[in-house]
Parts: sequence; C-alpha cells; structure tokens
Amino acid sequence: MTLAKSAPPAQVAAPDPPPAPVGAGKGRGRRRQTAAAHVFLAPWLIGLVVITALPMLASLVLSFTDYNILSTPRFVGLANFERLLEDPRFWQSAKVTGIYVLVSVPLQLGFALLLALILDKGLRGLAIYRSAYYLPSLLGGSVAVAVLWKQIFGYDGLVNQGLAMIGIQGSNWLQNPDTALGTLIILNAWTFGSPMVIFLAGLRQIPEELYEAARVDGAGWARQFANITIPLLTPIIFFNLILQTIGAFQAFTQAHVVSGGTGGPVDSTLFYTLYIYQQAFVNFDMGYAAALAWVLLLVIAVITALHFTLSKYWVFYGD
Amino acid sequence: MRSMSRRSLLAGAGALAGAGALTACGGVAGGSGGGAGGSGGLRYAFWGNNVRQTNYQKAFDLMAEENPELALKVEFADYEAFQERMTTQMAAGNVADIFWVPSPQVMTYYSNGLYRPLAEIDTLDLSDYTDADLQDFLLDGEHNTMPFGIFVPVVRHNATFAEEAGLDQIVTGDWKQFAELMKDYSAETEGRFGTAYSADADLPFEGWLRQHGEQLWTEDGKIGYSQEGLEAWIEYWEDLRTSGATPEIGQQDGVTASWEDAGDLCLTWFGNSNHIVDDATFFPDYDFALEHLPVASEAEEGHQFLYFPRMAIYKETSEEKASLAGEVLSFCTANVETQKLTGLTMGAPVNPRVTEEYREFATEDETSMLDVVTVDREVDRRPRYEAPPGSNTWRQVMVRVLEEITLGSSTISEGAASMIDEVSRGIERAAG
Amino acid sequence: MTTLTDTGTTASARTPRQVPVSVRRSRLRGAILRHGGLILFGLFMLYPLIWMAVSAFKPSHLVLTDPGIIPTELTLENFVNGWVVGGFPFWVFFGNSLVVAVSAIAGNLFSCSLAAFALARLDFRARNVYFAIVLVSVMLPMHAVIIPQYIVFSNLDLVNTFVPLILPKFLATDAFFVFLMVQFIRGIPRTLDEAAWIDGAGPFRTFWYVILPLMKPALITTTIFTFIWTWNDFFGQLIYLTDSTVFTVPIALNALVDSQSNQGTGTLMAMSLLSLVPILLFFAFAQKYLIRGIATTGLK
Repeated sequence: MTLAKSAPPAQVAAPDPPPAPVGAGKGRGRRRQTAAAHVFLAPWLIGLVVITALPMLASLVLSFTDYNILSTPRFVGLANFERLLEDPRFWQSAKVTGIYVLVSVPLQLGFALLLALILDKGLRGLAIYRSAYYLPSLLGGSVAVAVLWKQIFGYDGLVNQGLAMIGIQGSNWLQNPDTALGTLIILNAWTFGSPMVIFLAGLRQIPEELYEAARVDGAGWARQFANITIPLLTPIIFFNLILQTIGAFQAFTQAHVVSGGTGGPVDSTLFYTLYIYQQAFVNFDMGYAAALAWVLLLVIAVITALHFTLSKYWVFYGD
Repeated sequence: MRSMSRRSLLAGAGALAGAGALTACGGVAGGSGGGAGGSGGLRYAFWGNNVRQTNYQKAFDLMAEENPELALKVEFADYEAFQERMTTQMAAGNVADIFWVPSPQVMTYYSNGLYRPLAEIDTLDLSDYTDADLQDFLLDGEHNTMPFGIFVPVVRHNATFAEEAGLDQIVTGDWKQFAELMKDYSAETEGRFGTAYSADADLPFEGWLRQHGEQLWTEDGKIGYSQEGLEAWIEYWEDLRTSGATPEIGQQDGVTASWEDAGDLCLTWFGNSNHIVDDATFFPDYDFALEHLPVASEAEEGHQFLYFPRMAIYKETSEEKASLAGEVLSFCTANVETQKLTGLTMGAPVNPRVTEEYREFATEDETSMLDVVTVDREVDRRPRYEAPPGSNTWRQVMVRVLEEITLGSSTISEGAASMIDEVSRGIERAAG
Repeated sequence: MTTLTDTGTTASARTPRQVPVSVRRSRLRGAILRHGGLILFGLFMLYPLIWMAVSAFKPSHLVLTDPGIIPTELTLENFVNGWVVGGFPFWVFFGNSLVVAVSAIAGNLFSCSLAAFALARLDFRARNVYFAIVLVSVMLPMHAVIIPQYIVFSNLDLVNTFVPLILPKFLATDAFFVFLMVQFIRGIPRTLDEAAWIDGAGPFRTFWYVILPLMKPALITTTIFTFIWTWNDFFGQLIYLTDSTVFTVPIALNALVDSQSNQGTGTLMAMSLLSLVPILLFFAFAQKYLIRGIATTGLK
C-alpha cells in the first residue's frame, strides 16, 4: 500500500507537470481511460456541438461578412477587422475595458481575500457577516442597481452629502467622464461576495492539522500565513484571478444599467462588450459585432495563456 | 441531515430535474406551452411599464369580450428590452403578429420588409380620417404602419411657479424673448432656473429646424439640416447654460435632463406633449400647463408637425391572422372605450372623432395636451419625413456630441460637424 | 500523516482559567475592534440596500424626487401595485424562477462534475485540447453567440418554454463550473485514487466513491452560484420568454419601470427587495453545508 507523503507545508513546491493519473499505463490501461473519459465527457461534448460550437462557428463566419440581421450575410473578407483598427470608439472601449480590468480585479480580489481571511476565524456571528457581505453580489445585474448607484454617486447622493459635511462641493460623479468609470470599478469591488465565498471554501480545505503541526513547531501567525495558507490557497487564488479577469473583460450589465446603455458620458464607460452589444442590437451591424467579439476572445485567450504559463511559478497543486 | 449522502443527493437532483422537465414547458402557472409559431391567439408586442401593461390588458380584455377571436397573446417588456427581444426575433423570423415600432427603427424595419401593407386589409377602419390625415400616415408613399397616437413638441411650465412669479403665459414671443425671460427668471428666483438644458430634445429640435426653413430628414433619406442650422440650435442652449438660466449638467443628471432631479428646479420644461401625463405624477403638489414652442420671427407657415408612434402587422403573418390583426388595430384606434382604459400616455388619439369623444373623460392634464395637439392638427402643415435606415443612433450621437461641448472638450462647430459626419456615415453604410 | 487522526487536544492550548487578565483584556479589545470594524464596513456595504429597503416603503413618486434615507411618509402601496405584473401575481414569477434555477443546479451538478473528473483525473490524448476548449467557451462574450443560439431554439419551436434555459445546463455549457471543479479536484491528493485503483476500482467507481464526496465544497459552490446566476439572469430569459405566464423574476422586474418614464420606481424597489429574500435565504442555508462539507474532507 503506497501512501504518498504529504508535501512538507513549509516549502512552496514548484508545481509539477500533471502527474501520471491513477490507473494509467501503457496499452490497454491507456485506451480504457480514453473510452471512459469520453463517457464522462459525453454530455459536455453534445452540448459543445449543439449549443456552443455551432453558434461560435457561426459568429466566426459572420465576422467576415456584412450582416444586418434582416438580409442575407454578404462576404467582405477582412473589412470588419480593418474597420475596427481605425474605429476610435473601438480604441476607446479597449482603453476603458483595460483600465477596468487592471484596477477592479485586484481591488475586488483584495477585498475578497481580506474578508475571507478575517471571517475564516471562529468568529461569532460569522454566518451573518458572511451573508451581509454577500448580499451586494446578489443584486448583481439588477435594474435596481442604476437607481441605487445614482443615490450614492449622483449630484445629491451620499458621497456628495458626506463631502458637503466637510465643506467640499462634489460633482455628479456619474456624469463626469473622469470619474464615471471609477464608480463602476467601485461597483465591481462592492460585489466581492462571490470570490470571497470561493476563498472561504478554499481556506476551509486546508487541513487544520497542518496549522497545528506548525504551531507545535513554534511558528507564529505570520509564518503560518506565509507558509501554509498562501501556498495552499494558490490554486484558488489562481482560479479566482482567471475567472474575475475574464469576467472583467466581459463585464456588461453594470455599464449597461448604470449608463443607460450609452457607455456615457462621452464613452467613458463604454465597456468593450457594451460596444459589441451596441453594434449588434442597436446598429444591427452583426458582422462587425462578431469581429469585435472574436478580437476580444483572442485578447482574453492570450492573457489567460499568459496567466497559465506564469502559474507554474507560483501555484502549488496538491497533486 | 448530518451529511448529504451521495445517493440522496442524486435522488434529489433527479427529482428536481424531473419536476423541472414537467414544468419546463409551462411554468408554474401552467402557461401556454406552445412555441412561437404555434396555435393560439394573435401575438401583440409592445412596451411600457407595469401601469401601462395593466391598463392595456384591460382594453384587450374588453376587446376579447366583444370578439373572442381577438384574444391576444401579449409580449411585453420595457422599451430597451423590447428592442433587444425584437432583434433576436427578427433574426429568427419569429416576430409578433402586431408590434409597436420604436421611433428610431421605423424606416429600418421598413427597408427590411417587416411591414405588411395595410391597404389590403379591409378590416382596418379608416373611415374617420381625412385624406390629408391618410397622407400623413404614409411612409415612402405606402400605408404600411398604423399610427396610434400623436405627439407634438411643447414647452411645459410649472403653473405654481409661474403664479408665484406673477407670470401667466410663458411663451409669448419668439426664441429671443423666451431666452430673455429664462435668464431673468433664473437671476431673480433663488435656487431655481428658467428651463433645463434641452439641446437633445428631439421634437423641439425638429420644431426649431422647421421654423428656420430646414427639416430633420429629407424626402430622399438624408440629413435635412446644415451645419449652421445645427450650430445655431446648440448655440442657443449653450447661451442659456453659460448664463445660468439652466442647471449645471451634473445637477440635471446629464445632457438629457432628468425630470425627477430637476423638475422642481425649473420653471419650464421642453418635451413632447404626452410627457405631461406621466411626469405630473412625480410632483403632485404642482400644477402644469402646456404651450407651444416659441415661434421664430422668420418662421414660414406650415412649420408645425405631428409625430406619430406607429404599430404594424408582421409581413409573414398568415392571411387569416392579418385580417384579425386589422380588427385589433381598428379597435385600438377607433374606439373611445379603449382609449378610456389605456389613457393617453402614448399621446393624443390619432382618430379625430375619438379625440372629441374623449374630451368628456379627460383629466386636466390630458385636456391641455389635447388642446395643444388639436391646434397643430388643424393647421396646414408642410410634409415631414421619417429617419432613414442607418440613422437610428442619431440621438445617442447627438447626446455624446453635446456632452463633449458642455465639457469643453470640443467647440460647437467641431461637435456639429462630427455629428453630421457620423450620422451621414451610418446612413451611407445602411444604403450601401 | 498517520498521526493526524489522533491529535486530540494539542498541548499548546491553555484552559481559560489559566489565561492572565491582561491577555483576556487585550483579546476583548481585539474582538471589539474586529467586530466594530466588520459592522461598520458592513453598514457601508449595505447602504445601497438599506436605501432600497426604505424606498420600497415610500410613496412611489417620492422615491426619486425625495431620496433621503429617512422617509417622510410610509406606505405599502408599492408592494400592492407591484405584486401583479402582466396579469399574474408575483409568486408565479418566483415559482418560475425557482423551477429554472433548481433545474439548472441539477444540470450543472450532473454534467460539470462528470466533465471535470475526466479532465482532471483521466488520461487521454485529447485532454489538453478539450480543456482549452472549455476555457475558450468561457471567454466568448455572450452577445456574439446569443442570436445563433436563439435561431436554433426558435427553429425547434422551443421559444417561450424553459427548455432553452435548462437544457444547456445538462450539457455542461456552464464551462465556469467545469473549470471550478477541475481546480478543486486537482487539489485533492491522489493517494486515495491510488488506493482505490489498487483495490480494483475503475474510473467510474473512483469518481463515485472517492472524488465526488471529497468535492463537496465545489459542488456546494456550484449550487450556490448556479442558483444566484440563474435567479438573476436577465438577457437569456428575456429573449426566450415572452408570455407573462412564464416570466421569471428579472423579466417581471424589468416590466415594472419603463426606461422612458421612470414612473413606478417605488414598485421596482419593493419587488427587488422581495426577490432578494429567496436568494438570501438560499445562501444562508447553503453556506452551512459549505462548512459541513469541508469539515468531512479528511484524508481518511
């Protein structure tokens, strides 16, 4: 009976390449796994073909056409992509989305991790705090958010009322192109409940015994944190990082709801997907919208691949 | 449950999935179940808020009572969501039998063959209209959409504020005099403004253009105003704004003034005649009155115009359904009982007879709207043309340009030029 | 690791009576600071929701024109007016949303766990390719594919039913959860897999008896998130559901206020508040299992 030794928690091991799966061998064993794998993957494969792949391919093909929904698509080659490069609103939306990703993802994850760590201790009323911090995420893309955000950042909103108390006259933060994006970044950070829950789950997966062993060895709180918590949490941090980044690139509802679908003022909140939506659903320019979508996908793919490559250096997997 | 055993988890999931499958077709209320092209009543798609939906449903129930064949399957959403759903339905060839047409899309839908010609539908009752009226209804020479309301541009003023300031009528002269009055009022009244910044108000803009010898769109589907014409309009508003006669842009929550935020700050408000019905409910302590736009001294006759919200019948509907749809359209436009139930949130009734009959039941606000509309209706008007395909974002473009101008990042001429450029390009792309 | 199961009381803990007063006092101070900070931060976070709750009880026309947090008038009219949408009472919409959400959960749990196990634990040549495809399908923005998907379902005459919203869940189209589960599974040491294999278990038995129980946190997380996302999903539900009878909560909420006139904002606040209650309850209930599930992740 072989029992693999547990990796000593004090060392951060560089993640190994995916180890040989259990039961794999040459010849018959390997083939058996392929067949079994495809049985497990059958629902996904069906879904892929019928629901995902066909529409994806359709949209790829459309990106090389001029298609306005009501008449047949007309092949135009790379025209959409050329147009994109010269389109100032494309660059504006890329800039807006870029800033949004770079600022709001770390901010949101930072809050999520911080609160998860604080709430992970045996705290009284833990469930209440957890639910309270999670509540904003439930409102998510609700229509009501536009109204609420105006109450905070509008001309007579909470922020300005607070500023008035110390004698500063605030402006309408939502209507000021320099700050409008900031309000959306704050909105994203406000909904840190989702990654927080995932962090909590990940924290709970770290065996208590490791901490006790470390305490027995005389390690204080900081060393436990640095040598147990963080390393063992890295798969979850990585997961949250990837998904929140992809989510931020694809952010749509917040901008749509708060700016009323315009991306205003002066396109300062024109998220990339909002621009895609405008081209598809307002201008009926589906070919161009599809081209925009695929450019986004390529960018996200590149960045995700980058994340994955870099992950070898800091993510520690238990297997 | 100390721990969920896998078996119970799976059993639970299975039961849920089963229940889901059973209700998948009909929902908890045991709904219609049928697909889009299935049997059942006519599909009627429109937009609004809950109040409107409830009122219209009452009207539809009345119609179904009188003729069970006219029972409608209603497809309702708010204005934006309605258009989103329409877009996917258009792509799939799955549009409702009767649908309202959002104003920026009128000609776009037309050029894509969405409308069934109404001339062939004999169940549509057009007996109350004069020939001139019917001319107005045509699009590109064809009768393919049915108007169901009338809007005209108006200046609404707060009668309570006016009384306080000792004013009776507000619009007494031309635009210059109006501007003077606005500036005086703002200067003299603490914390209030003459009017909201309304350079983006589309119907008043069109009214201004027509008074100054131009128009919004030409007959052959191009922009109907010159750069100078557009600049003059924007300059008028910039003058009012910079002299303090309008609230700051941030204070009115953007270039498109927000009634809830600035309504109790302004003496007057530019808009469409039908807005008074909804807007008045926000400030029940104030009275409001409607007047026509100021008239430029150089304005030639016939500058007035009527704007019609329209509804249409889907081209791909069956003959039988189209015939029934015609009856529905008649019921909606030629019957005062319908109007009484739905109210006038979509403007004055398009049918002159119904308008007269309705006066008996109209509220004060509705009466003032009917008065204003009737005046414009009875004048000989120059023709007016709808927005061409590809121009449907012109209002957003205008708002963006105005934002840049009010923020100072672009001059009025740069802004006007860029607006005309962008809208023209959209039109060309749609035509090409 | 053989000593793990008999840790008992660790020698380092002292009984409370032996803790000196100064330590106790500083612990108390620490606790007060921590709770105080958490509460303050919590209030800050929840201010918009508190505002929403207050507005739900204000007369509708005052919600936007008199937006202070202290109401001058209180009324229940928003709940009364907002309860019926499109001729149906709101509980119908709750019911519909519940059906869709619960079915989606079942679908995701079923299909995503299967797919994730294969991708994380089984060896086959196409594995990396498939995994890449999973990730790519997460990356494509919804608006690009939604129209072709709609056309597919429309041609199958399945619009105005819940099928387009539920069927994809049974086919692991929510690649997010596949990815989540893969990450979780990779965190489970292979010792047990190996033990099972030596005992003669094939992949199916390994999945069912070894991995699935240890995956509880991921399964619970999937449940929670699927529920919430489905409950709040607007666009997909908007285009597929046209009849008021099958409206779900987000569509019903959307129909309360028109973007053109802003009338009825009070009803929107009231019904949004009501619709938060089920998800909150669900979350409060499910998160207990998040803890429980994890507590049994022993390496036994």
